[in-house]
Amino acid sequence: MKFRHIALAAALALAAPAAQAAKTDLIVGMAAQDVGKLDPHLAVSTIDRTVVAWLFNGLVRFKPGSMSPADIEPDLATSWESSADKKVWTFKLRPGVKFHGDYGELTADDVVYSLTKSADPKRSASSGDFASFEKVEALDPLTVRITLKQTIPSLLGIITNYGGGFIVSKKAVEALGDKFAAQPIGTGPFAFAANTPNQSLELVAHKAYFRGAPKIGKISYRFLPSNASRDLAFQNGELDLEFGSQDQTWIDRMKKLPGAVVDVFQPGEEAILHLNLAQKPLDDLRVRQAIAYAINRPEILKFQGPDASRTPGSVIPIGNLGYVDAGLPGYDVAKAKALLAEAGFKDGLTLKVVHTQLPNMLAQMQVVQAQLKRAGINLDLQVVEHATFHQMIRQDLSAIVFYAAARFPVADVYLTQFYHSRSTVKTPTAVTNFSHCTAADAEIDAARTEPDQAKQIALWETAQKKIVAQMCAVPLIETLQAWVRKDTLVYGYDLKGSLSLGPLITEQTHFK
Amino acid sequence: MIFYIARRLLAAVPTLWAVLTLVFVLVRIVPGDPAVAILGDRATPAAVAALQAKLGLDRPIWEQYLTFLGQSAQGDFGISMVTNRPILADVGAVIPHTIDLTLAAMLIGIVIGIPAGVWAALHRNRWIDVLARMLSLVGLSFPVFVSGIFLLLTFALHWRIFPVIGNANLSDPGDRLLKLVLPSITLGLVMAAYITRVTRSSMLSVLDEDYMRTARAKGVPWKRVVWRHGLRNAGLPVVTVVGLYIGILIGNSVLTEIVFNRPGLGKIIVGALNQRDYTMLQGLMVIYCFLIVVVNLLTDLAYGFIDPRVKHA
Repeated sequence: MKFRHIALAAALALAAPAAQAAKTDLIVGMAAQDVGKLDPHLAVSTIDRTVVAWLFNGLVRFKPGSMSPADIEPDLATSWESSADKKVWTFKLRPGVKFHGDYGELTADDVVYSLTKSADPKRSASSGDFASFEKVEALDPLTVRITLKQTIPSLLGIITNYGGGFIVSKKAVEALGDKFAAQPIGTGPFAFAANTPNQSLELVAHKAYFRGAPKIGKISYRFLPSNASRDLAFQNGELDLEFGSQDQTWIDRMKKLPGAVVDVFQPGEEAILHLNLAQKPLDDLRVRQAIAYAINRPEILKFQGPDASRTPGSVIPIGNLGYVDAGLPGYDVAKAKALLAEAGFKDGLTLKVVHTQLPNMLAQMQVVQAQLKRAGINLDLQVVEHATFHQMIRQDLSAIVFYAAARFPVADVYLTQFYHSRSTVKTPTAVTNFSHCTAADAEIDAARTEPDQAKQIALWETAQKKIVAQMCAVPLIETLQAWVRKDTLVYGYDLKGSLSLGPLITEQTHFK
Repeated sequence: MIFYIARRLLAAVPTLWAVLTLVFVLVRIVPGDPAVAILGDRATPAAVAALQAKLGLDRPIWEQYLTFLGQSAQGDFGISMVTNRPILADVGAVIPHTIDLTLAAMLIGIVIGIPAGVWAALHRNRWIDVLARMLSLVGLSFPVFVSGIFLLLTFALHWRIFPVIGNANLSDPGDRLLKLVLPSITLGLVMAAYITRVTRSSMLSVLDEDYMRTARAKGVPWKRVVWRHGLRNAGLPVVTVVGLYIGILIGNSVLTEIVFNRPGLGKIIVGALNQRDYTMLQGLMVIYCFLIVVVNLLTDLAYGFIDPRVKHA
């Protein structure tokens, strides 16, 4: 009896501080087999981008929780000024910023090295964004000057905490060489600790972080590719935060779990049908218009569910700087049939379309297929494996390309990559213009160098309307990002958007 | 015996060479470019070409082939194109998990399958036999992603005995065992179903043999007749199936690994295929092929122990 009392007292004494101390280890479940490249300039998948945003900083950053260009604020730079023609920019760096490990303090040399690396296609996936850079120089250890060949829509947008804007340690990249992509060194609130292939990536708090030591001590980023098992692990309390699905049934199911909060946030990935103007019969405007009238967007939204999806209003995503409701054609099957008859396809037509086997994209395309069928347009879907799909659509092998993407939220980026003739697939400067659209080249080019923002926005709006008039593309739906977390996990900011596609874990993030 | 093993290993060299060549060609025939996979969908052709040059993909194909053969012969599988990590280190980190799962599943399969098969054969067409055949059919028909999720719902979520995330700490035997139970049952039951059916049919063919009748006529107890004379002679087909199945288990455990969130060889293969990680795929295929050769050799050696008439001269 006496022993039981002593044991009980000891147990209570041990349990009491444990109950009071807040948890500091964050366990995140990601839909991944492994991480790819953690060199921030080469990190292109959602899996890698989510993590590098916790490890690195840019000269400027989007305020945590936002991805509006209006919310750009100082990060590694404390202030900046530009010449009257906006071609020369000078940045003052924050003093005393420490890199992870023994890699010392940040200097202007690191910034010059990082931005030069970002512009090099051999060492960066974002080199295209830096095409207008003439030179980057260190004026003194804490001052950097960027000189541009020509004015660009948003220099701050390029050097923010995203893609090529991340600042790396020159010393670390030179010392580690190719290993840097597996053992990244940045200035962010968390530092790389270990990576167990196929299992997890472990991060630790960067105690010398310039905004203060993070409240979270460790992050375990677990690779859990099975959606069902990841959900079960979250339900079982083994995960604090989980990458989710935009699927309405998933959102409804997770919302019902006790102590779970589903976060839905920007960017919206806009799914668009790009109609190949270089192929018959899509070279006929009336056929393209028929496709546009046959698409029933409210029905697609109903299929996908309203919580993490919305109906698009233009050929670029809602919320991009320069977005305008471009007046997309409404659903009208009779009109679609009449247009087809006028174009000489009274009995309908068949289009060969290459598509991916990824379940969500395939399901959406099957809805489109059923809708077009009502107007007499048959889609002969050639369903292939996802990497094969990417290669085939870049070889111009599909009459229609279904593509869902989010980009840096300034109209220029989406318009240039998807609708400018320079970006047409199978050309030396190709990006993702699958439709061979040339409708708004002049406006897109003029807007890029227009110094007056009101005029610039007007040009982007005209460009969108011209692209819609030419029916280069038919927007279908926009889907937002969805994650689930325990209600005890507090981000420390209001999560409305995140360019890295995952929630930012900052020095303020903590458990209640 | 040593000569036999050496001869078998030597005979495996042409097989390995053929596999290496096939893998080298296959991974390059499959559409999809590793440079595009690495750089993402915004990459310009110039950036893709620059990365291809860096990865050595712009070199003549025969030059790439010879380099690959030379490196493989030296046991150097290089580094992953995607992660920049040494391939052997990645494989080395997961192979204990794959071996754990394969051996545990095999053990469960043998422990359940052989007695069930013998029992069913001895009670041919009676309710025990019907039940064993029905259960083995269920075991074969149930996909592992269904049985695995069912086990997780029951034993991880409802009773909370086992965790859902099965990436065990290899240096902690308790944790290793705890996280092995559900996946090995999932895979082991499929194996048990196979073994039950093979053992049953093999035993049935042996039970009517003259030497069985002679043994009984001599007054040898029935149990001894079954285990000594029956099972020993019925054992060869069973060993063949077990040997073949180990090879299948190593490769096909991918679904079990994904459902139970376990690291493993199968999971790495799928990841490398999605990313078009040529070097990783080539390395994995060579290792996988080598494992199959070793397992086949062990199976052949086991014949000699079961049936002394099989000589390894």
